[in-house]
Amino acid sequence: MLSKAQLLEPLARLRTNEVVVTTMSVVRPWAQYSDHDLDFASADSAMGHTADLALGIALAQPSRTVICLNGDGSMLMSLGTLATIVASGASNLVLFVIDNGTYEITGNQPVPGAGHLDFVAMAQAAGFQRTYGFDDPNAYEAALPGLLQGGGPVFACIRVELGTEGPISRSNAEEARYLKISLADWSQQFRTALLNDTPS
Amino acid sequence: MNVPSMSPPADTGPRANVLHAALVDLGVSYIVGIPDNASAVLFDLILRDPSMSLVPATREGEAFAIASGLWLGGRHPAVIIQNTGLLESGDSLRGTAVRMGVPLLCLIGYRGYAKMKEAHLDPHAGPPTRTTLTQSDVDSVALLTEPTLRAWGIPYHLYSTDDDAPLVAEAWAQAHREARPVALLLTHASS
Repeated sequence: MLSKAQLLEPLARLRTNEVVVTTMSVVRPWAQYSDHDLDFASADSAMGHTADLALGIALAQPSRTVICLNGDGSMLMSLGTLATIVASGASNLVLFVIDNGTYEITGNQPVPGAGHLDFVAMAQAAGFQRTYGFDDPNAYEAALPGLLQGGGPVFACIRVELGTEGPISRSNAEEARYLKISLADWSQQFRTALLNDTPS
Repeated sequence: MNVPSMSPPADTGPRANVLHAALVDLGVSYIVGIPDNASAVLFDLILRDPSMSLVPATREGEAFAIASGLWLGGRHPAVIIQNTGLLESGDSLRGTAVRMGVPLLCLIGYRGYAKMKEAHLDPHAGPPTRTTLTQSDVDSVALLTEPTLRAWGIPYHLYSTDDDAPLVAEAWAQAHREARPVALLLTHASS
């Protein structure tokens, strides 16, 4: 099982100008490793609709990789999106499901099926051709560069330890830059940055 | 606007190709949604149009999130769903397109509109009652559609005939001027 640091630090180290979409219990932790104009926190937003939001960005920007750090609870809220992603042909989307088996934000109540759901099998059944499952930090870190390269869509389920992230606000009290302003204002800033940036 | 010149027969509803032409004129390049009887012909036209990409969704809430992502990525999408799915999509519409300030044109099939009118029920006449919501000759979703949009702060316009085609551009302009979703309620099936 990985800690959030073991999950996020290697990803932040490899990230160049990919879009990174986060939600729920990784919104604040990701900001400890990244302060990037192309980070988008799906927070103070629509519960369970992060993977589909990321899909929209990926379809709009086919030359740019879009990385989505979704939660297991969030993924369960819109499992149909797995089918939509594959059907859309979005080859530039890398979808992580961060599986801790709980709704961490509200105090780690178990998600339905916690402990025996197989997200990788679900993604494969939906038609994902490249799927990964990681429970070991070393295996994850070794595989990550290859995982981020090549055609997708890519699906990766990462087993992580329980955490203690609480509810997310949008205010100056938050340390993350993308949480200091409204979702509407960050959306405008993000869109402008994205349209002015050239994919590598 | 590139409106086809043939007039429709008097006994038919709006034509899908008129609506489609209006969307093309606006430069809408992505349609996200789920078809219903009111929009089925329009969906078929979009499927055959190489200038448009159709993203079929599994649920209507998903459609609003995908469309919001498309806008973040620099595109100008529109959503096409039925009013039943509108009710399903409440938190997604609120949390994505509305909360993000996405200028989004939403074409929404107004299921039950004709029966509601035949029953002389007015969606502006106050909250629906148990009596009207359980009335067998009325589709309850029709009674809830306009009150829901008003409650959610979504401006809307009724689209009933080809004469309403200019509303597409007006709703689009309003959505961009006010940076929020604007709905067109398709009161009749298009042919």
